[in-house]
Amino acid sequence: MLARSCLRSTRAFASLRNGAVHVSKRAASSSSSGSAADSPLRLNIAAAAATAVAAGSVAWYYHLYGPTADASTPAEEGLHPTKYPWVHEQWFKTFDHQALRRGFQVYREVCASCHSLSRVPYRSLVGSVLTVDEAKAMAEENEYDTEPNDQGDIEKRPGKLSDYLPAPYQNDEAARFANNGALPPDLSLIVKARHGGCDYIFSLLTGYPEEPPAGAQVGAGLNFNPYFPGTGIAMARVLYDGLVDYEDGTPATTSQMAKDVTEFLNWAAEPEMDDRKRMGMKVLAVTTVMFAMSVWIKRYKWAWLKSRKIVYDPPKTNNTPPRR
Amino acid sequence: MGFWDTITDLVDAATPWATADAEAPAKELPEETTTEATKEEESTEAETAAAEEEPAAEEEPAAEEEEEEEEEEEEEPVDPKETLEEECRNSKQCSPAKHHFDECVERVTNAEAEGGAKEDCVEEFFHLAHCATQCAAPKLWSVLK
Repeated sequence: MLARSCLRSTRAFASLRNGAVHVSKRAASSSSSGSAADSPLRLNIAAAAATAVAAGSVAWYYHLYGPTADASTPAEEGLHPTKYPWVHEQWFKTFDHQALRRGFQVYREVCASCHSLSRVPYRSLVGSVLTVDEAKAMAEENEYDTEPNDQGDIEKRPGKLSDYLPAPYQNDEAARFANNGALPPDLSLIVKARHGGCDYIFSLLTGYPEEPPAGAQVGAGLNFNPYFPGTGIAMARVLYDGLVDYEDGTPATTSQMAKDVTEFLNWAAEPEMDDRKRMGMKVLAVTTVMFAMSVWIKRYKWAWLKSRKIVYDPPKTNNTPPRR
Repeated sequence: MGFWDTITDLVDAATPWATADAEAPAKELPEETTTEATKEEESTEAETAAAEEEPAAEEEPAAEEEEEEEEEEEEEPVDPKETLEEECRNSKQCSPAKHHFDECVERVTNAEAEGGAKEDCVEEFFHLAHCATQCAAPKLWSVLK
């Protein structure tokens, strides 16, 4: 395209030279005016100027707004997590409840010493992670405040299914005090609360390098993790191979534990996911049936129109030749 | 990846010979009983071991010893993520990133030895880590349960 237009422009220039000669000749030979106004020379100049202005304005715009200015370095942004092929993130797949069970075990044995899971009650674990008896037994291991008795004293009682998972610290201040000023976030909604979701959590848990790359500044009391924005995270690496003993005999490698606990945290953040996907499937099934019905009904309603026949019956001719 | 899986799932569900297991495969079904059984086995083993060593000794310390021995005997599971990413790091796919990272590390360590380094290798590390995890992700998921 460009080459062709270039060719044309050279031709235009050639005609320019010839045209100039022409014009002078014509002016000399005849007195007719207005031939210069619609000569190809002027038209070409206008087109070339318009093109130059267009190209210039685009270039100016790009010069002004083209390059993006990043306010932060890649280290401040943090390494974006890799996309992992989570099975439960597919449209028609559910959580792997065996993995949820393992993930809950990892949470209980590893994460729960610092992180609360305060929006999850024991009753919601029943049926999806634990059996009723297991959940009851686990709830009874903790003590909760009772209602005030007759004398107004608040006593302790063992937990029930309706109680929420106990937090490791009394309040945020206690948590900060115990963790060198860093607050371990509540994990109930953590998968929804972080960019990258499951991928981010998994990458963060498994992404601690053996040693920070050369020249990297790691603050006092912090650990290097490329996935954490700023790369300095107060949480040290906690998952090591063989840290927990899975009851189903799965080898407890670091990545296996991270995968299980991430899936469990995703369940904690959206326990309705399985039901939601089933509801979506129901909607799709009903809608397809309705659509199929509507197609048949349309055929039925339109049948009289579609099956009619329009016949043109020309008047009988009596062999007279057509008029001229 | 989701689309064709979905299609095959629907086909599987529609075929008359498809079976849907309400529970996990029978082996894993009675979890409590299996754990109990293993416990029983352990205790019986412990008993036999105790019987072999000292018939009159208490069972508990023997059982503890047995457990410790088992733990020692058990091979530490090796994290597949580490090995896979190491392979990926050395693969041809990531060789440019690795080359840059190695060069940067060498430059920065030399600069640190001479005086102060004015740069770090975080960005090069990011590129290498991105390449390695990207390459290892599908392989890792095929290994993990």
